Amino acid sequence: MGMRETIDQMRQMMSQELEKVCDKQTLEALRVRVLGKKGELTALLRGMGQLSPEERPAAGQLINDAREKFTAMLEARQDALRAMERATALQRENIDVTEPAPLPPAGSAHPVNIVMREMVDCFTGMGFEVVEGPEIELDHYNFELMNIPKNHPARDAQDTFYIDDNIVLRTHTSPMQARTMLTRKPPIRIICPGRVFRSDEADATHSPVFHQMEGLVVDRDVTMADLRGTLNAFAERVYGKGITTRFRPSFFPFTEPSTEVDLTCSACHGKGCRVCKGTGWIEVLGAGMVNPRVLEMCGIDSTVYSGFAFGIGLDRIAMMRYAVPDLRLMYEGDARFLGQFR
Amino acid sequence: MKIPMKWIREYAGIPVDAETYMNKMIMIGDGVEGYERLGAEVEGVVVGRVLTCDPHPNSDHLHICKVDVGEAEPLQIVCGAPNVAAGQLVPVAKNGAHLPGGVTIKKGKLRGEVSEGMICSGEELGCPPELYPNIWEKGILVFNEDYPLGADVRPILGLDDTVMDFEVLANRPDCLSVWGIARETAVALGTEFKKPEITVTETGKGDISDYVRVEVRDTDLCPRYVARVIDNVRVGPSPKWLREYLYGAGMRSINNVVDITNFVMLETGHPMHAFDLDKVEGHHIIVRRAKEGEFITTLDGKAHTMQAGQLAICDAAKPSCVAGIMGGEESEITGSTRQVMFECAVFDYAATRLTSRALGIRTESSGRFEKGVNIRTPLEAMQRACQLIHDLDAGDVVPGIIDLYPNPVPDQVVTGSCARIARRTGVDIPPEEIVRILEQLHFGVRRDGDSLTVTVPDFRQDITVGEADLSEEALRVYGYDEIPGTLLRGETTPGGRSERMRLRDQVTDLLTGMGFLEIMNYSFVSPKAIEKLGLPADDPRLNQLPIRNPLGEDTSVMRSTLVPDMLRTLALNMNHGNEAVRLFEASTVYDPAHRTAENLPTETQKLVLGAYGKAENFFTLRAVAERLLRQLGIEVTVERDGAPYLHPGRTARLVSGGETVCLIGEVHPEVRDRFEMSARALIAELDLDQIRRLRTPMGVVKPMPRYPSVSRDLSLVMDERTEVGPLLRDMAAAGGAILEDARMFDVYRSPILGPDRKSVAFSFVFRAPDRTLTEAEIGKAMEKLLKAAEEKHGAVIRA
Repeated sequence: MGMRETIDQMRQMMSQELEKVCDKQTLEALRVRVLGKKGELTALLRGMGQLSPEERPAAGQLINDAREKFTAMLEARQDALRAMERATALQRENIDVTEPAPLPPAGSAHPVNIVMREMVDCFTGMGFEVVEGPEIELDHYNFELMNIPKNHPARDAQDTFYIDDNIVLRTHTSPMQARTMLTRKPPIRIICPGRVFRSDEADATHSPVFHQMEGLVVDRDVTMADLRGTLNAFAERVYGKGITTRFRPSFFPFTEPSTEVDLTCSACHGKGCRVCKGTGWIEVLGAGMVNPRVLEMCGIDSTVYSGFAFGIGLDRIAMMRYAVPDLRLMYEGDARFLGQFR
Repeated sequence: MKIPMKWIREYAGIPVDAETYMNKMIMIGDGVEGYERLGAEVEGVVVGRVLTCDPHPNSDHLHICKVDVGEAEPLQIVCGAPNVAAGQLVPVAKNGAHLPGGVTIKKGKLRGEVSEGMICSGEELGCPPELYPNIWEKGILVFNEDYPLGADVRPILGLDDTVMDFEVLANRPDCLSVWGIARETAVALGTEFKKPEITVTETGKGDISDYVRVEVRDTDLCPRYVARVIDNVRVGPSPKWLREYLYGAGMRSINNVVDITNFVMLETGHPMHAFDLDKVEGHHIIVRRAKEGEFITTLDGKAHTMQAGQLAICDAAKPSCVAGIMGGEESEITGSTRQVMFECAVFDYAATRLTSRALGIRTESSGRFEKGVNIRTPLEAMQRACQLIHDLDAGDVVPGIIDLYPNPVPDQVVTGSCARIARRTGVDIPPEEIVRILEQLHFGVRRDGDSLTVTVPDFRQDITVGEADLSEEALRVYGYDEIPGTLLRGETTPGGRSERMRLRDQVTDLLTGMGFLEIMNYSFVSPKAIEKLGLPADDPRLNQLPIRNPLGEDTSVMRSTLVPDMLRTLALNMNHGNEAVRLFEASTVYDPAHRTAENLPTETQKLVLGAYGKAENFFTLRAVAERLLRQLGIEVTVERDGAPYLHPGRTARLVSGGETVCLIGEVHPEVRDRFEMSARALIAELDLDQIRRLRTPMGVVKPMPRYPSVSRDLSLVMDERTEVGPLLRDMAAAGGAILEDARMFDVYRSPILGPDRKSVAFSFVFRAPDRTLTEAEIGKAMEKLLKAAEEKHGAVIRA
């Protein structure tokens, strides 16, 4: 039998054997049998000595080609085996991805603080600085400098918690207006979010503790139009496009002119619904031009400077936004309620 | 304040419907709560005459009536009222008529007889006795007067009006009156305000001085007192229009004399009082502060002991009226009253308020005095009352007026610049427009170019700061809707959150990321809450600032710690069946012992964490606290012993640079019982102000390591009581500069180790920044840290 035939036979044998191989050991045995030191092809190579010098190059070429071919065949099979193994392994590692898994506990800020932070972001973006003041406040700042003189009904013990004759739990965040004006020069642009207190029994819509955010701007030539522009920007930033303000005349001792500010009802976009009692507007805040008397009491020349101020009730806004039916839920601390916020 | 629209219409035109009127009023600053249409539910009820009234054949109490309602044929109506009779003029609900309560009348048969409607009682029509006397007597309503057959009964019964409910602003007490509202109405709707012409016809004899003497001793509390006397008083019922007005305004009709005082109060805003002059001892009125213990029984039949200083209207002997609040029973107007003295005075608002609160009496009168009654207009009100006395033939007005007004208030004049008045509003209101508006509002205006000289009308007391007030007046009439929106101009300001707020926000983010829910509790607590913590008697937190007028015992002191509220909230969640929660509160605590320069109590921002649940233990919460602090750049060591309200074996302090920054532990079982907590819970307390002081910025990054690290694990056996924290700390210190990381990874207990022994496994990582470490270097370092472990803690390599 000629060499070519022998090699052909070897190839046939390998093809048949490789078909059957399904593990590394058998594959290795086959490699050794054919390509090993004592393998069949190696033996063929060794047998070349018996050939004539003229035959040798062609035979050598034939054997080398065969070696390459057989190596490739073995490698191909090896790759196939590896792929099969990987596939089996993947199969084995299959999991039920739909199986429910416990989630890490969800945390959340308090709804009032969620609302507060949104507003703070909005106003700080407009160049307002956050200032914070004492919750237990001097009567002087809470009332006197806010143009609420002694014996004014607002100072009644029915509305105000007193510590002593001169110290109260602040009834609004407005005293920070006075504290700021007394220590800074215009231009002043501040907001003061914080906790305030009124002597109200807790019920679905009242709480003796609640939260406000005061805003104050004092500069040359500030007008009601600046107040409106600022609050329009706030309305759109916090409540979305198309939400705007309605001003209604009102009265606060520390502003003149004063206004109640309504925002377009965000539930119905002004069409009128249950939330806004059909009016299309939601009463959100009180505002106005700083009363010149307040400016003067705080050492600011009211003939040179003017200013506006506003006060937003944060609990009320949170209540409306999330349709919270009872304000007391906010102060109860039940995780079933608080866990809903995000 | 409720006012029937008919009454307003007497003085100002309202050419629009109630809804439009309400909105117009709101937009010029006169708040309206809403409005009510009287008789809104009544429809199709007409006047009819009972022609015949025969007994029903199948009933012993029903009647069959033929009733003429002005139509071609009379109606047959079956009626059960005992008082029905032929000839009566009655209200008839025809087929299809509507009655209050959603009732619709339909033609039908009653015991076999056709009934084409219903004869109504006053009650069925929803008509109150104020509007039609004796209306609720048994049976059907029988009209006393003659009315055309088929006429709508609503106007007859006063059920054809709309009552507006105004919400008057605190600075506009002048609008607590029909005239005030009518003035605003005229401005809002562009109609004309016409006050009634007031003329008093004096038919009485002599002069007021023949009847009464008035003396005001305390003019500080009663700066003006106006009095007139009515002789030959004819007390009787008020006419229908007066009863209707009072009813619409929410007041009861008493008799003509009292009704006139109430009518005048509602119309002018001036409370009045009527004294039975015969009951005024000595015919001498003395306005003075009461003496301690003086006694009066008020009109409502209640006895009051007055306190010294409260203002009373007295006769020669005793208080006869609590000034501005309520009259005395003794001098009340009765059917036998012959002579009346009308009082229309001005009392100090603050004093009235204090007395009203102290005696617990609130009336329409006291409410008005508290808000401020105009000192310049009581005479007009008095004259109006006397005019009505004459017009209603209720008595003879005696000539002469007593008007004690020692310090008359002059006209108020305000000056301003049109340009500045408009500028403030942000709306370009032309000067002519400003003048027009102010005149419309009854201001006297003189304009000289840009400058205005304005005389404030006598009924306006709220114009106190000049130009700014005029801006508001001009703007509210010109229209708040006209205000454009402009963004802030001028020098910009950097803005931004305060450092305190940034920290609070950062802490909130970190904690919510670790599954914590934020809670908010009141700032005031029960003084008993802190007692449950079992603090030592000298603990400064036991000193909590009391509120002088708390809502109740449970909310009477300002909290000095957030812990009791957290424990209460954890307990609430346990009781509500919540399996596991992580909570935090960041809030203020108050220290009355340490005062600021302004003598205010010190306020500190505290943070408290609380958790319970299957997955929670001391270490999970401590890990949260450590993570939180480390994120803020505060490295801590853990030391034994924390707070007395924590489990003594499971409480610790986290210490940084010698300062305790966190107290942490499992709640003491005793405390748990006191707070009625059904499960173990953990809490941690931190101080945000302290954290703000201690926190460090991140700084620059470390270079990436260029040389390989080498790890060594080690198991040490030690006494069970040996604390691993200090051991690890000491080993780490002994490891030297090349020790990069040292940590514990396992604790193993077994009888093989011996009683009360444990084996703890550690892992150490060594690395040098500039070279590959040699075996010798690492060996030496390990030797050192082993030595430290053995010498300081008796921990030895596990054999």
